[in-house]
Amino acid sequence: MRRYIARQIVQLVVVIFGISILSFGILHVIGDPVLLLLPQNAGKEEFERYRHLLGLDRPLYMQYWSFASRAVQGDFGQSWYGNAPAFRLVIERMPPTIYLTLAGLLVALLIALPLGTIAALKRHSFVDTLCTMVAVAGQALPIFWLGIMLIIVFAVQLRLLPASGYGTWQHFLMPSFCLGAALAPITMRLVRSGLIEVMSMDYIKTARAKGMLEWRVVVKHAFRNACIPVITVLGLQFGQLLGGAIITETVFAWPGVATLTVDSIRNQDFPVVQCAVVLLALLIVAVNLLVDILVGFIDPRVRAGV
Amino acid sequence: MVRPAAVVLAVMLVLGLALSAPALAQTKEDTIVYSLQSDVDSWDPPASVLREAIILGYHAFDHLATRDLKTRKVGPNLATSWRNIDDTTWEVKLRQGVKFHDGTPFTAKDVKATFDRVLDPAKKMTARGNHAKIKSVEVVDDFTARFKTDGPYPLFVERLTAQVMQSEKAMREKGDQWMGENPVGTGPYKLVKWSRKQEHLLVRNDDYWGAKPYYKYLRVRIIPEKATEIAELLSGGVDVIKAVPPDQMDVIDKSGGARTATSPILRTAMLQLDQAARGGPNPFTDRKVRQAANLAVDHDSIIKHVLNGLGDRVATGINPMAFGWDPNLKPYKQDLAAAKKLLADAGYPNGVDIVFNEGPPTVEPAVQQTNDAIVSDMAKVGFRVKRNYIGDNTVLVARVKEGKFGPMFNWSWGYYSVFDADAILYDVFKCGESYSYYCNKELDDLIATGRNSLDAKKRTEIYVKAQKLLYDDAAYLYKWGLRGVWGISNRVEYTAPADEVDRLFLATPRKK
Repeated sequence: MRRYIARQIVQLVVVIFGISILSFGILHVIGDPVLLLLPQNAGKEEFERYRHLLGLDRPLYMQYWSFASRAVQGDFGQSWYGNAPAFRLVIERMPPTIYLTLAGLLVALLIALPLGTIAALKRHSFVDTLCTMVAVAGQALPIFWLGIMLIIVFAVQLRLLPASGYGTWQHFLMPSFCLGAALAPITMRLVRSGLIEVMSMDYIKTARAKGMLEWRVVVKHAFRNACIPVITVLGLQFGQLLGGAIITETVFAWPGVATLTVDSIRNQDFPVVQCAVVLLALLIVAVNLLVDILVGFIDPRVRAGV
Repeated sequence: MVRPAAVVLAVMLVLGLALSAPALAQTKEDTIVYSLQSDVDSWDPPASVLREAIILGYHAFDHLATRDLKTRKVGPNLATSWRNIDDTTWEVKLRQGVKFHDGTPFTAKDVKATFDRVLDPAKKMTARGNHAKIKSVEVVDDFTARFKTDGPYPLFVERLTAQVMQSEKAMREKGDQWMGENPVGTGPYKLVKWSRKQEHLLVRNDDYWGAKPYYKYLRVRIIPEKATEIAELLSGGVDVIKAVPPDQMDVIDKSGGARTATSPILRTAMLQLDQAARGGPNPFTDRKVRQAANLAVDHDSIIKHVLNGLGDRVATGINPMAFGWDPNLKPYKQDLAAAKKLLADAGYPNGVDIVFNEGPPTVEPAVQQTNDAIVSDMAKVGFRVKRNYIGDNTVLVARVKEGKFGPMFNWSWGYYSVFDADAILYDVFKCGESYSYYCNKELDDLIATGRNSLDAKKRTEIYVKAQKLLYDDAAYLYKWGLRGVWGISNRVEYTAPADEVDRLFLATPRKK
C-alpha cells in the first residue's frame, strides 16, 4: 500500500509538471495580453514598455523557468488585472467551488443511491423504467437551462430561495441540485448494475439462506461491494464536476474558482490562469489519489494486489 | 471500521456550519442593491481601465467637477470655481470643510498629489492619457490650485469630471498596492468590505459635505449572467441593473415588480469605410460609392423596428450630446434611385463587391440584426456584401488598430466619456490615428484649430464646419447614437444616467 501511494505521488508530480507546461505554452500562443491591458488610446512606446515590464520580451523558456521556480514556492506572480497576488486570488475562491462540488456530489448520491437500489431490486419492472427515465432526463437537461428554470420557479415565482449569490445554506440548494442532477444518472446506473451483479453472487445467496432480512442483505452485504465502481467513477467524474461548476457558478453568481479561471482566460491574465490550472489539476489528482486509497480501504483485494 | 459515507456526511455538516455567514446589520429598507456583470480589478480608479471602476469610484470619491444628469452640463463639485489666468493656466478654487473618510481635510495639497501621481510615467496609471495635456499643478494656498497646460486645453473642465480626488496622506503613508483595496475618498459612501467577484458593501458617509444618500447601505453584487441578473431584479434581490438587452424589456416591464428606463448615451455607431485605403485600394476611396452606401440604408425604420426605438439618428459621427453637435444638419435619407445612379457614375453600373467585417454585440445591442437590415438595404442598390464575422471583440479592436479591418466594418465610439466633438473627431476621423480609416487634410486642420482654442463660440463654428464636411464627403456610413436600458425595482426612484455612470447615492424610495 505504501509503495502504491508513493507511486501515485510521483505520478502526481509528473502530471502537474505537464499541466504547468501546457497552460504556460497555450496561453502564450493565444495572443498578446498587452493589447488588452492598455487603454485603446495607448501608444506604441507604451506597448513596448509594458511588454518589457511584464517580461514578455524574453525568450519563452526563460519566462517558463522564472514562472516555475517561483510557482513551487506558491508565488505565481501578481495578477495583471486584480492588483493582488495570483495565488491569493485563486486560494480565496477555492473554498466556494469545493463546497459546491461536494454539495453537488452529495445531491447526486442522494438521488442515485435510492433510485439505483430500487431499480436494481425491481429489475425490468415499471419502477426500473421510471427510475431510468428520471435519470436520463436529469442528464439530458443542460445545466444552464436547468439553473435558469430553477431560478425562475423558486426565486422569481415562488420567492422561496435567493436567485443567486453565496453565504447561507439557502444559497446552496439550487446550485448543488443543478450540479448533482447532471452527475446523478451515471452514478445511478452504476449503482444499479453493480447491485444486480453483486446480488447474484453466492455469498448473497448464503446470507439469504441464513434467513437474513432482505434489507440487511442489501445494505450490509451487497452495498459494500456494489459501491466500489461507484466510488472509482465518482473520483474520475470530479473533473467533470468542476467543469459543470463553471456554468453553475456563472448562472448563480457563485464566487468560485471556476468562473475566476474562465474570466482570467478571457482577460489573458496569465498568472491567475496558470495558478488556477495548476491548483485545480492538483486538486483533481489529489481526489483521485484519495479515491484509490479509499477503494483499497474498502476492498482488501486491491490492497493485497499491490 | 469507519464508514466512508459517515465521514462524508460529517465533513459536509462541518462545512455547512462553517459557512453560515455573519449576520449583517442591514435591513431591506435601508439598503440599496446594485449589480455589475463583472467585478472591478481595483478600487483605485485612475489605475483601472474598467467602466465599473469609474462607477464605483463615484461612490467613494468626488471629482473636482461633475456632470448634472438633468442639464448634462458640467458644474462645480469639490472645485467651486475655475478660470483661465492665461491660455495655458487654469486656476481652480476648492471647497472648504471637506473631509476624507479618514478624517483628514481635503486641500490643494491633495489635488496636486492626485495629479502628480497620475501623471508620473513610472506609476503607469491608466488615466495618464486623459490628462496628458496637464504639465504641472501648483498649490497657491490651501484652497487654490493652479494647472499649467501644454498649449490651450479646451477640454480641461470636461476632463476634471474624469479624475477622482485621492488622499495625499494615503499616497504618502500607504502606497499604490494598499490604495487598490482601500479607497480613501471624500465621497458619499465608504467601503466596508470587498469580497472579490462577489460583493462590495458600502456604508453612508455621514460626514459627507454634500447631499447625503438616502440609503444607509449600498451593496454592489457581481452577477455575471444576464438572465440571473434579471431574475434577481424581478425577485427583489437587486434594485438597479444596467445594460438590459432590448428583448428583455417586456419581461421586466410586465413583471409588476420592476420597470425599465432608457437614456441616450454618449456612444455613436457607424460602419467605417476605408476611405484612407489603409487596407489597400477599395471602392470606398471614391466619395460617390460612400454616398451611395449612405443613401441606400433606411436607418429610421431599422431603429424603429429592429431596435425598438433604442437609437437616435445622427447626421455624422458626432453625438447629439457632445459639445459642437450641429442640430441643423439633417441625416441622409434613403433614396435608392440616387444611390444606384451614384454607383453607376462611380463606374459600377452592375453593382460592386464589398467585404463587411462584423463584430459581436459587446457594446452595441442587436448588432447582428441591424447588420442584416443594412446589408439587405445595400443589396437593393447593387452592393454585393460578403459578410465576415469576428466573434471576439478583442481581436476586432486589435485588427482595427492594425488598419486591416477595411473596407467596411462595425464600429462605435464612446468618446472616453468626454462630451465634446473633439473626443471622436481626433481618434476616429483624423488622418493616421489608429482607429481612423479616413484621411482629409482639410478636416485635420479643423480638428487642430478646435483643440487649440479656449473660445467656445469659435470652437462651435469649427465643429459645424467639420460636420458639414464629414456629411458631404460621406466619410463613413453613419448610423445612430445608442441608448442604454436600465432595469429598476419598483421600490426605488432612480434616473438612468446619460454618461453611463450609475449614481446610487441619488436613489430614493419610490413614492407610492
